[in-house]
Amino acid sequence: MAVSPGSVIVPDWHKSPEGKEYLATILRKNKRKFFGLIERPVLPPQMAADTASYKVFVSGKSGVGKTAMVAKLAGLEVPGAHHETTGIQTTTVYWPAKLRDSGRALIFRFHFWDCGEAALKKFDHILPACKEKADGILFLFSFTDRSSFDDLPSQISRVTGGSENLVKIVIGSKFDQFMHTDVTERDLAEFRRAWRLPVLRMKSVNGPRLADGRTLDGRAGLAHVAHVLNGLAEHLWYQDQVMAGLVPAPQPGTEDTSRC
Amino acid sequence: MGEEGGGSVTLLCLTASSGVPLFCRSMGAPSKHQLPFSVIGSLNGVHMFGANLDVLLTAACTANSHVVWRVFHNSITLIVLSSEEGASDFALGRLLDNAFSAMVLILGLEELVNVRNIERLKKDLRVSGGIGECLEAFAGAAESRFGCLVAGGRLALATEPWWQLAPQELLLLSWLVGSLPPHAARDYPIYLPHGSPTVPHRLLTCQLLPGLEACLICGPRPALHTVETELVPRFWKPLLEPLQACVNPQPHSLPPGTTLPPGVLAFLLIHREQRSSQSSVQPPGSGGEGLSPKHRARALRHFYALVAARYFPWEGSPAPPQEPFQAGFPHRARHCYVVSATHKAYAIHAPQHQLFLLLAPHVPTFALRPLAARALQRLTGDAAC
Ligand SMILES: Nc1nc2c(ncn2[C@@H]2O[C@H](COP(=O)(O)OP(=O)(O)O)[C@@H](O)[C@H]2O)c(=O)[nH]1
Ligand SMILES: [Mg+2]
Repeated sequence: MAVSPGSVIVPDWHKSPEGKEYLATILRKNKRKFFGLIERPVLPPQMAADTASYKVFVSGKSGVGKTAMVAKLAGLEVPGAHHETTGIQTTTVYWPAKLRDSGRALIFRFHFWDCGEAALKKFDHILPACKEKADGILFLFSFTDRSSFDDLPSQISRVTGGSENLVKIVIGSKFDQFMHTDVTERDLAEFRRAWRLPVLRMKSVNGPRLADGRTLDGRAGLAHVAHVLNGLAEHLWYQDQVMAGLVPAPQPGTEDTSRC
Repeated sequence: MGEEGGGSVTLLCLTASSGVPLFCRSMGAPSKHQLPFSVIGSLNGVHMFGANLDVLLTAACTANSHVVWRVFHNSITLIVLSSEEGASDFALGRLLDNAFSAMVLILGLEELVNVRNIERLKKDLRVSGGIGECLEAFAGAAESRFGCLVAGGRLALATEPWWQLAPQELLLLSWLVGSLPPHAARDYPIYLPHGSPTVPHRLLTCQLLPGLEACLICGPRPALHTVETELVPRFWKPLLEPLQACVNPQPHSLPPGTTLPPGVLAFLLIHREQRSSQSSVQPPGSGGEGLSPKHRARALRHFYALVAARYFPWEGSPAPPQEPFQAGFPHRARHCYVVSATHKAYAIHAPQHQLFLLLAPHVPTFALRPLAARALQRLTGDAAC
């Protein structure tokens, strides 16, 4: 993969004074702000920034943690029990980030498409609907389920089916359970070498709550997932630049040896 | 509503007390010709004339048009004129209900019941007509006849075919949408238990704003992606501000100033035609008398279950077996009551409503009937329920 972490997006920008101002547009009194389809974050004129929208399909076998991951990224309650998702559900997540080269701030809008495995098998229209005009696919495996990791290659070829220009990212879920992990660092390194795909790690567990004891602390929640959101932003943005002919396409053989 | 078939539908809205026209809207008319003021005046006049003589004029028919009148909360009069073939009192009545609900959705009931500034109200109402039309247009563009808006988990507005779904399907669909965790959009295969139990349809939901979803029931087309990225912005974005204003008030609250007769602990009011209900276990003026809200809810539920199952005409689902006692009579019960040590309960089955009341034990049993009739009148703001 041609994009090494931090090369396109400034990694800890959300912690800087400037980044915090942008972050304030997706928070309200430390709670995550939620936006309907006809709304968007409102920026003061001096902070004007473009919005980059991406459709991202979340793929992986049942129970691997797709719905939990999307909820965590969106700042919503992560459901404790596993309920099979009965159709397609989509979620928008806004994330401000800073481009390293131009120093420009952007608002990324990720539109996650999540669907249950059973629905996918039962209804023919679901997989094509999820892939239609998608910019990226996330392939999930679970650190606590070796078989989900071993299944990645066949999953990737099954789902991708020749869509070349898609950004493909592998996400290891349930990383908080690393004590029980079935998948080692060496496995991951080997996988990266063979597939040249970026691998991100995700802990989809509810973070701290605000003083009322109920509402999730939106700021803390964002801090937990900033590395994943920046990772997605980086690869999707870079792919856009390649498609527009603004940067050279990744060279075969380049390798990402870093640990996100 | 305004479909092909030649005819046109005109909707008039006036203040009930003074007859000031608030808006007039036509659908399906070849040219947008406005009704002359004199016609509006006489249509309202004939209804008011009747009201002054204690006659309720509900509908009238000529060779080529159909008129239905309805007064809402003693405050707003809606009149619909239709020259469409096959227009029925039922469908036109529903159209009036929808129009009024659309007004409530935007403005809140309070604004409509206590009209303070007529000019202001006229301006605000222009928008609410827009939402109903927008829903029709949105559903139409998605090649669907079934569209609705769910606000705060409650069905707020729907296209006519949506209302024609089985009552149970209506309920289940709004429950489903209201109970799922929030998502920007959904594409759920669903089976309609009555309409299509074996062939799946697609339920599409689009969260316009947190707490406000536009829903469609579709066939194989259109793709969710198209609905989300093209249709939603095209139809709903222009209504951002009025929609934002309408997600805040709770649509189920009683109009302010509504009081129930003393001794009423809880009520359940069913609007039979609209297939909707309102209820409260702490209605205004009920204070902390006797039973706790939880006990009130349980007692009211038991009373409802008893009366609905045994005595009142059964709607929607197959009728349960009748008691031998009841089966022996040629008529059905219109009123029911129960007296217990902790409470009394009274139910009325009226043409348009069913009311179930829970009352304090000190209310004399002989006073239950007039008291319940008064409660029904106050809750529906209607002289003839
Ligand atoms: N500890 C932990 N549990 C997780 C994580 N992700 C998912 N889960 C749990 O795994 C189960 C299945 O997750 P879900 O997201 O519903 O799976 P899906 O079928 O892929 O959508 C649920 O009980 C989740 O709470 C994670 O990162 N950490
Ligand atoms: Mg799921």
